[in-house]
Amino acid sequence: MQPLFHIRDLSFTYRHASHPALHGITYTHQAGEFTAIIGATGAGKSTLCRCLNGLIPAFIKGTLSGELTILGERMTGRPVYDVARRVGLVFQDFEAQLFSTNVELEVAFGLENFAVPYEQMRDRVREALGRVGLTGFEGRDPSTLSGGEKQRLAIASILVSRPMILVMDEPTTDLDPIGKRDVFHLARALRQEIQGIILVEHETEHVLTADRLVLMREGRILADERPQELLSDPGLLETNGVRPLQTTVLLRRLGLPTTGLDVDTAFHIIQDAGWRADPAAVARLHQPISNLADHEPVIDVNAVSYQYDAGPAALDAVSLTIRRGEFVAIIGQNGCGKTTLVKQFNGLLRPTKGSIRMLGREASSWSLAELGRRVGYVFQNPDHQIFANTVQEEVAFGPRNFGLPEPEIDARVVEALQVVGLRGREDEDPFSLTKGERQQLAVASVLASDPEILILDEPTTGLDYHGQRSILDLIRRLNQTGRTIIIVTHSMWVVAEYAHRCVMMQRGRIVADGDIRESFKDPARLADLALEAPEAVRLGARLGVPVRSVDELYGCLTR
Amino acid sequence: MFLYLPYNTFLHRLHPATKLIGLILLLVVTVAFTTPAEQLPGLGFVLGLAVLSRSLSNLRRILPLVVTIMLFSSTTWSLFRRVGVPFWSFGPLSLSRESIQYGLAMGIRLDAMLLSGMVFVSCTKVEEFAFGLRALGLPFPVSFALSLAFRLVPLFFTRIGIVVQAQQSRGLDLQTGHLLQRARKYVPLLVPIFIYAIRDTDLLAMALESKGFGMRGTRTEYLRFPFGWRDAAIIAALLAADVIAWSGR
Repeated sequence: MQPLFHIRDLSFTYRHASHPALHGITYTHQAGEFTAIIGATGAGKSTLCRCLNGLIPAFIKGTLSGELTILGERMTGRPVYDVARRVGLVFQDFEAQLFSTNVELEVAFGLENFAVPYEQMRDRVREALGRVGLTGFEGRDPSTLSGGEKQRLAIASILVSRPMILVMDEPTTDLDPIGKRDVFHLARALRQEIQGIILVEHETEHVLTADRLVLMREGRILADERPQELLSDPGLLETNGVRPLQTTVLLRRLGLPTTGLDVDTAFHIIQDAGWRADPAAVARLHQPISNLADHEPVIDVNAVSYQYDAGPAALDAVSLTIRRGEFVAIIGQNGCGKTTLVKQFNGLLRPTKGSIRMLGREASSWSLAELGRRVGYVFQNPDHQIFANTVQEEVAFGPRNFGLPEPEIDARVVEALQVVGLRGREDEDPFSLTKGERQQLAVASVLASDPEILILDEPTTGLDYHGQRSILDLIRRLNQTGRTIIIVTHSMWVVAEYAHRCVMMQRGRIVADGDIRESFKDPARLADLALEAPEAVRLGARLGVPVRSVDELYGCLTR
Repeated sequence: MFLYLPYNTFLHRLHPATKLIGLILLLVVTVAFTTPAEQLPGLGFVLGLAVLSRSLSNLRRILPLVVTIMLFSSTTWSLFRRVGVPFWSFGPLSLSRESIQYGLAMGIRLDAMLLSGMVFVSCTKVEEFAFGLRALGLPFPVSFALSLAFRLVPLFFTRIGIVVQAQQSRGLDLQTGHLLQRARKYVPLLVPIFIYAIRDTDLLAMALESKGFGMRGTRTEYLRFPFGWRDAAIIAALLAADVIAWSGR
């Protein structure tokens, strides 16, 4: 049978790059297959996607060799529109790929270019919007949609041209759990009508439903197997920057077969092997994670409301006390007020109603500069703040603004770079660092002002597993040396494993606030908030152990 | 455009080319007159259009600007234009009945122009604006680039907002210092903003290419505005108004 498409010995080097981004890729895709691609940052996943729809080499320049054929027809060297009719590509950044003022026109744009007759356009737009669950949104301005809706709109705008192959490049990275779930549901449902689906993804548990799993490394395909096989090798995944399933990590440590990918199977394998909870170890777990109840409050939020001009209340009478040394995670859907809340802490936003005491003083009596020095804020994307020519200069920016004497600034820079692991790279150009290193640099540049409280907005987004671990371990070390940490995140395993306390928000209000173990105990309550505890926590619950991580669970089992 | 109001009035339904031509014809009428008595009906007509297109709320938003233009242009023209017999003068400044009239007329003219533009953007989507330009013969890439510019402005402002906040958190203070010092403080803002502008446009270009933007040959249009008797009547009426206004001068 003729394959749907075939890539033969494809290599590509970006113009001005010293190393090839793709190196001899050969891959055959049969009609009806759904393939997920995983791999570390820089493995060549996005480059491959761009080769598939013809952006490379027609739009992005470089040196290409090898070829792509679709149903036996050679595509390499054809203009983008010609290849893009057959291969639709959805990008990660849904903000930058939408440009129309209403949903209907956004979807119709491709049809107009492909000169589809007017009579067919209306039906096809209606059909595509129905397919992604956006019927009734025709007249809405895309900028008013939620993240998940925007990404589904982007998918509709591609589907409407009826491509044979749909390629999605990390479509859920910037989405909250509900948005992620909806996009994955859609991807699975689309298998019925799209002949080939390629999905690049970071989240391991979501790739289980694919037919094939391709692991890339340094521009090469390292493994191409059924997901069940590849995912049962946690060591291989971890060394390639992919987060392994927690179930398999535990099974491996217990010396059991790692074929139990889902919580249920893993539970039976563990039980059948005679492992059970060790009461003494479980008793030790019940001691509170942190004993900070007697520490003084550093943040005291008292019935704070906040309203952006002419919108509904983004914060609605929120009250919250955070004590010195705590590690607090704030979670909830996009637009629930998380970021609005933490921006009150360093004075970027000031309450419309209510009051905040910071470090024992009314926040309104601090200037933005005074607060900014004591309350560090690391923005989600390091590229929103990096500007200097050297790492040294970048880190010195904060302390210099706050008027510290030069010798002290130098000492602070050294210390901050030491902590984040960038010591010795003072003279490098920040833009030559990897994304993970730039994130560390952003943390260092805030640390250099020696803040007592550190706020991090989505510190792990866009990083591979290796990058995520190093930034999280760094944050944990900062917390252990006495700093109060507040992170905003969508990533439940990060919350469970690293934070002491979890604050859940919904529509501008705090709906739950408590110790991590308590917060994650009740799956029904989490499901109400469209959240799910990580595998280790769920597996622990099945075994009767309220754990937060694989390490804890391992420590609580005995035979 | 970001001031667009999503109603379905008969002005919204007009062919975008009619609205574009109509706007130009209307501006031509306002230029014909130099006394308030002649200008006021024009302004009244524009306000009538605003009521019909339900865009008064947008006009209210720019009311301070409308008042400022009125005050500024009527005082400066009144003081500087030398017509008629001045009843007061001081150096280069003078006031006469005619110069005051002229000043008021200029104020009304500028306001009528501003308000008619506002009515236009209130009832015309960016895509419709681009469609109208194409109907008048502008090539697709040019009309599309124009409409895209409108779309990118809000995106760009969001990015700027984030960068400003990120740098303020690191103690950047844009308020103090003399001019040169303050200018230097914009460097930490400009670099990230510039990088984002490049990145956003690059991504957008890829998204456009991926939807067949580069395709040559004829395109089809999703928007459809039949050119009806209303369109013809409106253009004819405004054309007549122009002829009368200019021949009566």
